[in-house]
Amino acid sequence: MPLQVEDIQGILLYGYGQLRHACFLLLGISDGEAARKWLGTLDIRNADFKPDEVHRCVNIAFSATGLKRLGLSDELIGEFSTEFREGVAGTEHRQRILGDTGESSPDKWRWGGPRNPDAHVVLMLYGRDETALAALLSEQRLRLTSFGLQLIEQLDTTWLPQDKEHFGFRDGVSQTGIEGVHTRTSPGNTIAAGEFVLGYPNAYGQYTDRPLVREEQDPGELLPQAPDDQRVRDLGINGSYLVFRQLSQDVVAFWRCCDEKTRHRDGSSNPQGRKRLAAKMVGRWPNGTPLVRSPEKEDPAFSGDNEFLYYGSGDVHGLKCPIGSHIRRTNPRDSLEPNPGSDRSIEVGKRHRIIRRGRVYGAPVARSMESADILAAGAASGERGLHFLCFNTHIGRQFEFIQHTWVNNPGFDGLYDDDDPLIGDRGSGHGKPGGTFTIQADPIRTRVTGLPRFVQVRGAGYFFLPGIRALRFLASSKS
Amino acid sequence: MPQQEALTVITRIRPGQVQTVKGILGTIADHRDDWNIVPFAKLPNVHFARFVVFDETADLDGNPIPAQLALMTNVDAPLDAHLRDLATICGAGLDTVFEHCEKYPGVAERTPAARFSFLRQHHTRASAFYVNRQGRTVQQILREEQLRRAINEHLDSIDLSGHSPEMVRGTIVAFIASRADLRWALHPPNPPSPMWRTTELVNMVAYAVLAILILPLLLLASPLLILLLRSHERRDIPDTSRASAEAVRRLRADEDYWMQNQVTAAGLFKPGWFRFLLATAILRLTDYAVRHIYNRGSLSGLSSIHFARWVPLDGRRRLFFSSNYDGSLESYMDDFIDKAAWGLNAIFSSGDGFPRTCFLFCGGITDEKAYKRFLPTRQIQSSVWYSSYPHLTTKNIANNEAIRRGLSGHMSADETRTWLRRFGVGNQLPESGIIARLLDRIRWDRLCHCK
Repeated sequence: MPLQVEDIQGILLYGYGQLRHACFLLLGISDGEAARKWLGTLDIRNADFKPDEVHRCVNIAFSATGLKRLGLSDELIGEFSTEFREGVAGTEHRQRILGDTGESSPDKWRWGGPRNPDAHVVLMLYGRDETALAALLSEQRLRLTSFGLQLIEQLDTTWLPQDKEHFGFRDGVSQTGIEGVHTRTSPGNTIAAGEFVLGYPNAYGQYTDRPLVREEQDPGELLPQAPDDQRVRDLGINGSYLVFRQLSQDVVAFWRCCDEKTRHRDGSSNPQGRKRLAAKMVGRWPNGTPLVRSPEKEDPAFSGDNEFLYYGSGDVHGLKCPIGSHIRRTNPRDSLEPNPGSDRSIEVGKRHRIIRRGRVYGAPVARSMESADILAAGAASGERGLHFLCFNTHIGRQFEFIQHTWVNNPGFDGLYDDDDPLIGDRGSGHGKPGGTFTIQADPIRTRVTGLPRFVQVRGAGYFFLPGIRALRFLASSKS
Repeated sequence: MPQQEALTVITRIRPGQVQTVKGILGTIADHRDDWNIVPFAKLPNVHFARFVVFDETADLDGNPIPAQLALMTNVDAPLDAHLRDLATICGAGLDTVFEHCEKYPGVAERTPAARFSFLRQHHTRASAFYVNRQGRTVQQILREEQLRRAINEHLDSIDLSGHSPEMVRGTIVAFIASRADLRWALHPPNPPSPMWRTTELVNMVAYAVLAILILPLLLLASPLLILLLRSHERRDIPDTSRASAEAVRRLRADEDYWMQNQVTAAGLFKPGWFRFLLATAILRLTDYAVRHIYNRGSLSGLSSIHFARWVPLDGRRRLFFSSNYDGSLESYMDDFIDKAAWGLNAIFSSGDGFPRTCFLFCGGITDEKAYKRFLPTRQIQSSVWYSSYPHLTTKNIANNEAIRRGLSGHMSADETRTWLRRFGVGNQLPESGIIARLLDRIRWDRLCHCK
């Protein structure tokens, strides 16, 4: 079944790589009637566009309470997934499995937590250049008050040199491909559309649960029929769930740690060793070269390479790319049971993928993105990190599974005390502190212990990104 | 080393006392640090333990089933020694909990002997009992973890780069030899007793012979049996109801405090003689499979279960399943679907309301939505749960034992290199037996087609 691109919001299928200027507005709805009117006036970008001709994009998503403020009945909201309805900070259990504890616990968040005003809407704004974004932003902000919407938070973003994230590594090299949309990704990296877009068969060949509406609840016949049930209309189709997390990165602490753990015996820094340790933690060199391809040095020929496996590329034991490294555990490819190295292993892994649409925020510690300059800068002022955005249709089996079973799990794939060296929570949902990083090697492994937590959560939310027709339904109805 | 056993004590709760018992037991989340009423930690041979209250319910004909309390443990043999430990060391605690149950000795008669015979009389043998790997005692598991930690810390303190594998192994062995508290590790663990191994062997051969004898009969009857099976599968009505959000939240609140979690689920058997015979046969086969085929740490590619049991309840009207496993319930359910669906379908499809199967092995839980909706409706909240090594996964335990075994005996250069890699990661499981490997190669999803 081909995707109905004209009914899907653009950000779900494309990262808008040519629109490097972005800003996210978190909004509160006080007057549902006015908010519906506002919604009807928005020009929301669908996924049917020519990148070269587009200079600005607006996309939109809602929290569960946001949908309620828009006038959606409790009965209909009950049709949405449990994770979405409970919210990212909704239960202690969820905080535990996501690692949202300690300094990252929701009661310390800047937005999205129990002490913050409810963020009902995320408005995602993208512009080709600074002027385009600034114009779009002031236009949008002006209209908010006249429709009774409160601006809760404006989250600005930036684009770092060499397409890097703040730790200094090239980001976004590995991106999931959607079947029928992204034709250039390899088969092992191409996933059933239903894993990201509701209303299509998922990786189990099923239609993921989503909100369905009885005909009388849609008197204007704005919604299409559900593909798997002719008797009901589909509020979920062409939509998706958005996971939004503001992740603050302690860049100086990360490089200081790598520096201290690799010093020469005389106490002096070892820049090569430092870079190597950091690369081992990530699983790629700063320029993006996968360690599986080039374990001992950066290789420009492989800087954008994503066509590798672990068992299939001869790294069964993690001697090139450590078992516990960031990229090996967030996308284990062919390395986990059943039958590591087999197609079946890849197939099972495809049930735990997400599509990332994040943007970096905050000024880099050093424009060069080099560790020496970062260390020389010392204590950096201001905050920096990643506005992590990802889409999936089953938050529990996709985003939360990756976070708990892979990222924060000290026992990942036969390890003992190693959570994700880069983004791990250092213990909460497993009763173990983590913070050890083992580098498999012959004749014997080396390891570093006592890694602090480098990434903290500053705000988060689960949102629903509706299809275009569903947006019209939300704008019109009081069902 | 002794083998491992499963104790299942099932008792009726006195009328009107269910809430009192639940009050005494509390919830897993309540006492995740410590629960001192029945101090399992004082018993050196208990792997896992739990208390579960089965609420009052009714069977398919509407006959009432009274509320019951179950105590389950996984212990090192012999079972009687464990019962004696419970009756003495945990005597006062047992009194506190079980005095609300029928037939528990009166206040004046609560001697260790009386408690012992109470436990014994209420013990039900499991229809099938899965042990990740037979023969590892609690003390062995704990000591081997200590051993691995000590070696790892020692390795951190020295630089061995450039050494040959043999030299590195020699260094490690010498380090252990120098440590009086770890020197025991220079000998491999003893296997389970010859007596037990003989019984297992006899069981394996006897049932294999029996199977060969009745195979011709089965083959002859197979067209009829398959027709019967399909007609039942078409007729059975899957339960599409959903557990309340509140019930699910209560279950979640008990999960993910450690590397391990637990689950208990109970359901009524489907009615009719055909389903009764089929369920009996499948449970027999399951017992055989987990004892003799899937006994090397992997249950059809699913390696995260420490112990599991299937136990009949209420005069075989119900069956309950309980297990101790690594990771979250979400990952456990996904493992079931992705790795072991065929076997679990065969077993659980005898349960009323189970998602529709197709030729016994297919369909069923491969319907992810139906399965994840169904399980919470049959799940039962355990009140108390204890693990003596909540920080270890099945892979950790297996790897630790392999590390210990590598400290003694001769090794080839290849074996030495492989052994040394165990200090880096322990993800290489022992190879399954030949029959397990053959079974694992079957693509069940491609074998059956049903509408």
